[in-house]
Amino acid sequence: MLGLPAQSKGKWGSPVTDQGIGARLLRKEDERYMRGRGQFVGDIRLAGMQEVAFVRSPLAHARIKGVRIPPAHRGRVFIAQDLTGVSAIRADTSLPGFKSSLQPVLAADKVRYVGELVALCIAPTRAEAEDVVGEIALDLDPLPVVADMLQARKPGAPMVHEHWGDNLYLTSAIDVDFEAVKAKAAVSVTKELRTSRQVMSPIEGRGVVAQWHSRLGQLIVHTSTQQPHIVRSGLAECLGLDEGQIRVVAPDVGGGFGYKGILLPEEIALAWATRKVGAPLRWIEDRRENLTANANCREHHYILSAYADAEGRLLALDCEATVDSGAYSAYPFSACLEAGQIASILPGVYDFPHYRCRAYSVATNKPPILPYRGVARTGVCFALEVTLDALARKLGSEPNHVRFKSLVRPEQMPFDNIAKRHFDSGDYPEALRRAIEAIGFAGVRERQRRGEPDGRRVGIGFAMYSEQAGHGTSVYAAWGIPFVPGHEAALARFTPDGGLELRIGAHSHGQGLETTLSQVAHSILGVPHERIRLVHGDTATTPYSTGTWGSRCMIMAGGAVAAACDELARRVLAIAAKLLQAKPEEVRLVAGEVVGPAGRIAVADVARTWYRRPQDLPGDVDPGGLEVTAGYKAKRDTGTFSYAAHAAVVAIDPETGELEIMDYVVVEDAGVLVNPMIADGQIIGGMAQGVGTALYEEMRFDAQGQPLAATLSDYLLPGPTEVPEVRIEHMETPSPYTRFGQKGLGEGGAIAPPAAITNAVNDALQGLGAELLVSPITPRRIVEAIARTRPPPQAPAAVESPPGPDGHGLPGA
Amino acid sequence: MTRIALTVNDTPVTAEVTPRTQLAEFLREHLLLTGTHIGCEHGICGACTVEIDGEIARSCITYAVTCDGAHIRTIEGFDADALMADLRRAFAEAHALQCGYCTPGMLIAARDLVRRKSGLNRSEIRTEMSGNLCRCTGYVGIVDAIERVMAGGPSLQSAPPQGLDRNHGKPRAQAGGDRVRSWLGPAPGPVASPTPAPPRASPVGRADVAPAPRRAAPGRARGPIEVTVDVLEDVGAESRIRQSFVLPHPRDAVWRLMSDVPALARCMPGLALDGPPSGDKVSGRLEASLGPIRASFAGEGTLRRFPSDFRQVVAGSGGDPRSGSRASGSVDYRLSAVTDEAGGETTRVEVIIGYALTGPLAQFGRAGLVRDLVRRIGEALAQNLDAQLCDPGAALPQAQLGGLSLLLKALADQARAFLSRLLRPR
Amino acid sequence: MKPVAFAYARPASVGEAAQMLAAEPGAKVLAGGQTLGPILNLRLAQPALLIDIARIPELAAVGEDADGATIGATVTHAAIEDGRVPDPTGGFLARVARGIAYRAVRTRGTIGGSLAHADPAADWLSCLSALGTQVYITGATGTRTLELDTFVRGTMETALAKDELLTAVRIPRFSPRARFGFHKICRKAGEFAEAIGVVAYDPESAIYRAVAGATNGRPLVLALRAGVAAKPFTVAEAEHMLQSMRYAGDAYERQLHAAALRRASELAFAP
Repeated sequence: MLGLPAQSKGKWGSPVTDQGIGARLLRKEDERYMRGRGQFVGDIRLAGMQEVAFVRSPLAHARIKGVRIPPAHRGRVFIAQDLTGVSAIRADTSLPGFKSSLQPVLAADKVRYVGELVALCIAPTRAEAEDVVGEIALDLDPLPVVADMLQARKPGAPMVHEHWGDNLYLTSAIDVDFEAVKAKAAVSVTKELRTSRQVMSPIEGRGVVAQWHSRLGQLIVHTSTQQPHIVRSGLAECLGLDEGQIRVVAPDVGGGFGYKGILLPEEIALAWATRKVGAPLRWIEDRRENLTANANCREHHYILSAYADAEGRLLALDCEATVDSGAYSAYPFSACLEAGQIASILPGVYDFPHYRCRAYSVATNKPPILPYRGVARTGVCFALEVTLDALARKLGSEPNHVRFKSLVRPEQMPFDNIAKRHFDSGDYPEALRRAIEAIGFAGVRERQRRGEPDGRRVGIGFAMYSEQAGHGTSVYAAWGIPFVPGHEAALARFTPDGGLELRIGAHSHGQGLETTLSQVAHSILGVPHERIRLVHGDTATTPYSTGTWGSRCMIMAGGAVAAACDELARRVLAIAAKLLQAKPEEVRLVAGEVVGPAGRIAVADVARTWYRRPQDLPGDVDPGGLEVTAGYKAKRDTGTFSYAAHAAVVAIDPETGELEIMDYVVVEDAGVLVNPMIADGQIIGGMAQGVGTALYEEMRFDAQGQPLAATLSDYLLPGPTEVPEVRIEHMETPSPYTRFGQKGLGEGGAIAPPAAITNAVNDALQGLGAELLVSPITPRRIVEAIARTRPPPQAPAAVESPPGPDGHGLPGA
Repeated sequence: MTRIALTVNDTPVTAEVTPRTQLAEFLREHLLLTGTHIGCEHGICGACTVEIDGEIARSCITYAVTCDGAHIRTIEGFDADALMADLRRAFAEAHALQCGYCTPGMLIAARDLVRRKSGLNRSEIRTEMSGNLCRCTGYVGIVDAIERVMAGGPSLQSAPPQGLDRNHGKPRAQAGGDRVRSWLGPAPGPVASPTPAPPRASPVGRADVAPAPRRAAPGRARGPIEVTVDVLEDVGAESRIRQSFVLPHPRDAVWRLMSDVPALARCMPGLALDGPPSGDKVSGRLEASLGPIRASFAGEGTLRRFPSDFRQVVAGSGGDPRSGSRASGSVDYRLSAVTDEAGGETTRVEVIIGYALTGPLAQFGRAGLVRDLVRRIGEALAQNLDAQLCDPGAALPQAQLGGLSLLLKALADQARAFLSRLLRPR
Repeated sequence: MKPVAFAYARPASVGEAAQMLAAEPGAKVLAGGQTLGPILNLRLAQPALLIDIARIPELAAVGEDADGATIGATVTHAAIEDGRVPDPTGGFLARVARGIAYRAVRTRGTIGGSLAHADPAADWLSCLSALGTQVYITGATGTRTLELDTFVRGTMETALAKDELLTAVRIPRFSPRARFGFHKICRKAGEFAEAIGVVAYDPESAIYRAVAGATNGRPLVLALRAGVAAKPFTVAEAEHMLQSMRYAGDAYERQLHAAALRRASELAFAP
């Protein structure tokens, strides 16, 4: 094998160099960003470009009776009726019972959430475009609103899509011999848990620059996306164009986290309008649009029961889960991306025999739910791990007692769990043991016994998860959404001067793929890091890819780059062998040189010879040359399961509800790490978002579906003072199924913090009898939970309404 | 358009800008200095941080026109700066950036911190950097990098006095460095740039706001009516508060006043009816303000009376075309006769005020502020009712409570669901 | 998120500014713009004219005498934080300034702007209420002086008439024996306060005040009786004070404000 074994046993230790897999290499990307020379969508200016602002619905549910456009603005304001030839966005799944929603590009007959697009307005500047927006009057006939997912499930609730007959996109169910547990279980607990709606909040919002290029006969769309090729397919479907007529470019992208893994109606609207008006158009999402209308995610409700035997071994889970999927099924991951996965994710890292789960994907008059880092897993981990702690408390044991009794053991690996997930490798109990050790569990318990001089209450909590990543065709084919990931491709080629160019169809927006894929290539070809360039983010210049999501890139794009480099190495060796007058089996690649029995030649010289001195090449050389597009498919496409144990220590001020995270430990196994510095960055960054989920972030709506946070003063993102220091340990059990033992890890950091922190909070408040079962845990929620444990005051603060002719309520209320 | 002359990254620039052009927008769109990123446009995220006369500032909530004469430095202006070079190296080594979007603002804020302070611990560095949000890194690398540079070699430790550029060791390349240091207001202060001529005031189409008349309280020597307030549970989207007060007037007199819609409307500051009620319907306009936020809701309402209970309900809704917001609400009064200590008849008024907002005004989070406004509207109403009862001809302090206008329109309203019922023919 | 079009004027003096305010009902005063800017960008405020007072020399002037200090309205929080203005409290003002929002906001945000905007969550409003501050006001027809208590009428509402500007604050001098405590509770650093407690105590001038701020209304000021001991408040005392201030809030808010008061007293009377 060339330079790189197919399977790495243990930590990767390339003998070749310090620039390959496993090196803590500084990033290639940094320099341009640190000098303000990145190029984001908002930085693009094209000649004659005009700016777009949208008229958005002020009501969550209403019939559109009319849109009044002042005559002066005709020709620069477009509404649904203008969009001839444009289809609605349709993101169906093939799961039985799924109800389809058609998301209009601009709302035509009715609006279904506050912020839904109604009209597109064009002006020379954004400010003027907003002026035009202000002059468009909507004539809306309000309809009853359903803003709460549990209400939406009830018979008689207002319907988001009337023809459905209810508000359910899909009901998913699994039952594995559940009823039998009741005869066996010694103890059980049932908890009702809730996670709030969130906003992914990359610091750069979405943005689109659309242009019709007459010479090429091509629509060129620059857009802040994680998946340019998928956006191209979606645009082609909705606009009725050939895919070849569309080029999608994702330039530098200022954070994605899932929000940029969807097709936006704004993208389609601009793509249509630029051709209509004959000028390039730009729309840059502002923070208010981002918060109130677009970037919604994660809103789960659980009723979860856990059963155990007298020793604390988990016997069964029984779950009813509801996810507020909002008004439409978003492209391409559909309205079921969260609820549809709950049943398969819920068993977590545990081995137990009985299981039942029903999950409802519910439509409401709120923005569509979109993917966010850790998709579904963050809510599931929260529900499961918090319930397991409650179960342990009921058993009178330490919380990790139940975990240790129930974790999948290393000798069971690879392991098929009760939901038919195939765990590839790892030692879950060891991760937990290390986390207990690292956090200083015994010391914390001792500290709790002593108490705090300042009256705060200290608590410790743990949570574990596994994260399926890089899973492929079989999994997604069963789900049946608009795309199914198949093989991943990469192009690798030498330039005539011996540099190496890599092209991938996935996109890098913070993950550092320009650096890490270079490391992969370096490990195989030995080309110096600075001579390797990664090209990505442009459908015109890269192979097809379903994009960057699901922690898949290092497995899939990394595998593809390795495959392309393997083939390139084979060709280099073949040429070099001839040049060295050796047999092919006598030469090998070492540190950027081909070494033969009687001499050596630099890879760069082989490249120069190929391109510029073909007269020196042997006549029977493979004419395919030094440019290779190769594909990658995992040996098994069920994915890798990286996993982690998180441990948190918190201190709570019971008077004010203020909470400090005093210590945080992550013990993580993501297989072979390509760049430990970047891996740590992904874990810490994800963990920071998890802290936001746990303690700060909440997109509230009132009963009429009005979003209640339009600014970052209302929607709180964790800042430097909110994210704790974190200590990370790696285990690096190689995955048996990937190219060099790597596992996906991008999302994991965000999954466990809400569960670990909540468990720590409940540990701290246990003595007071208070328990928190909702995220985020705000100071108010803490104080009120404590207050509920006290007897009510003698005189209730709120005075009851005096009785009146009709109850002295509001008329009609 | 206003002409401005300023210095950007040591290069003199003159330009014509509209006054509403944000400094960030000016830098990005006029000068193509796109390293200054826009993240929130309301001063929270810090992505747009630049230096104005050597001090860091938000360029999204600063308008270019106010920077006439100032020295602006953007991330592109730090290429040759030695301290920034140290920070860039430390940021790369500590993996203090991922997507790179917050990075220019983060670096400029970090440099300012290192320039001003030394010897901070990690927790202090975090607090100092709390004005810059990063969604990717979790801040650990950023704190590492700053800590490293702050603890760096001797060349980094002696912060130069303010207004000096440490890296060139000389005053910033601008006239009057000392002036900058002594000026205590926002930069640039009174620089020698031409002052734009004030535009000729053109008060068009605005209702004049009369100076607040002193409160006339003829025949009364007592203090204001005391109002107690409870915050009630929200009902649906509607927030509700209850107020209760005692008017030193007999119930029949209070009821007469409350039944006289034009008189009652006069007691609500900010409310102007289009005309006398037609049946149980009224229409009008409610002006409201909360600080600089102003709204004028035009709409309709309805009155329902329950004379046997001395109860009246005003409900309605309206829209403010300027902000695109709508308000709905209701005021529900109930009178009961109370005998005071002297044996005279007074009237206890129980009021439940419900209100709901939609659109941009509703999404402006701080719900408690609106609650206070509604509370004060209720209180003013009590005083006005009292004054009107004491002297039916009394001039009422319409403009005294700016806030009244905002929510009074709301007071004429009810929740949207109710509203749509209400506006349909019955 | 771009503002509506507005006209812009930069008067050279306070008098000129007041005349402009009187002449244009849709005018709004702009100082540092750190509060107004976001509201403009969100189009929640849509003024016809912005009157930029940030370059009027007299508004950024400071002075002090034996009885106190005068700080011009457009003096920035950063100037106070950096100790560049006279401080008749011996450092308390700088401590409070340091906690306002973020440095990049403090460099432009002004003390007068903060008071004139009268956002209940603003630090200066609570802090200066405890210090017995007066505000100087100039209108088109004259000047007047008000106690800060009287100046602030409620949420974002002040006694300023349409043609008036706040020009300076006057803070009395405290003795070296004076003690101060300021405690702010907020969800995260730099955010709007959920509760503020302030305690100011000067045995020499017999001043002893407690303030509950960020109440969603005007700051609640309690002048403590001479008999109240100069020591940290107990929970019961803090709650009683809130009651005396007629604080209205729900149970959680009340608990938070009592804690803020108590912690302010602990800071003031720390040994």
